Amino acid sequence: MRKPYVQRQRADWWLRNPAYRRYMLREATALPLLLYALLLMSGLYQFTRGEAAFLAWLALLRSPWLLALHGLALAAAQYHAVTWIALVPKILVIDSDRLRVSPATVQRVHQLGAVTCNAGLLVLALLLLRAAGGY
Amino acid sequence: MRRSHEPIAWSLFGAGGMLLAFFGPGLVLTTALLPWLAAGDPQAAHAAIGALLAHPLGKVLVLACIALPLFHTLHRIYHGLHDLHLQAPRLPMQLLCYGGATLLSAISAWWLLLV
Repeated sequence: MRKPYVQRQRADWWLRNPAYRRYMLREATALPLLLYALLLMSGLYQFTRGEAAFLAWLALLRSPWLLALHGLALAAAQYHAVTWIALVPKILVIDSDRLRVSPATVQRVHQLGAVTCNAGLLVLALLLLRAAGGY
Repeated sequence: MRRSHEPIAWSLFGAGGMLLAFFGPGLVLTTALLPWLAAGDPQAAHAAIGALLAHPLGKVLVLACIALPLFHTLHRIYHGLHDLHLQAPRLPMQLLCYGGATLLSAISAWWLLLV
């Protein structure tokens, strides 16, 4: 008979250590980001129903609850981005005879890339909507 | 031994994580400001978004922005529930999380084809 040894662990194991609390906070960023993905889905659905439905959805985005969700999702996305990119040099190890890049450089380049992509997306959206509005 | 689904789940989780790190904050800020950005001429904003959704590349990009975060977040929630000792039978939870992400992605793809 197999008698596996089960290591006992309290359910609140992550509350005692700041590193574990940060880990749980990182994992918890998934909750607002999931709600945000569903919000995007709802916008897409309203778009399929026609212009009036989509403009009503656009007006709904001004509601305090959805603004709060956006604020929470923004904070979650930023915390996710920082922690995600901090892990990149642990997975992407460039250390061969032909090419050697330090982990700090790998992280720096990804940070710069993320800032550029996020700012670029925002600027692109602003320009496109400005061009569409004709002002 | 039965093959694990983990590599597929992890690939989609990783792709979603990359997308959210590189475009997440910018995307959230854009939709947060959208009602005000579109306030000048809402019909024109609707037409601009329609042009994005009408283009095949636009459809792919929008689907990526919905489907990959769904797989990413539901993968984290699936493992997070285990971390919190919220025990549940493995198979129904996998069906709910990964099946849910697949289903919602398929529905989004269908809506994108309708536009």
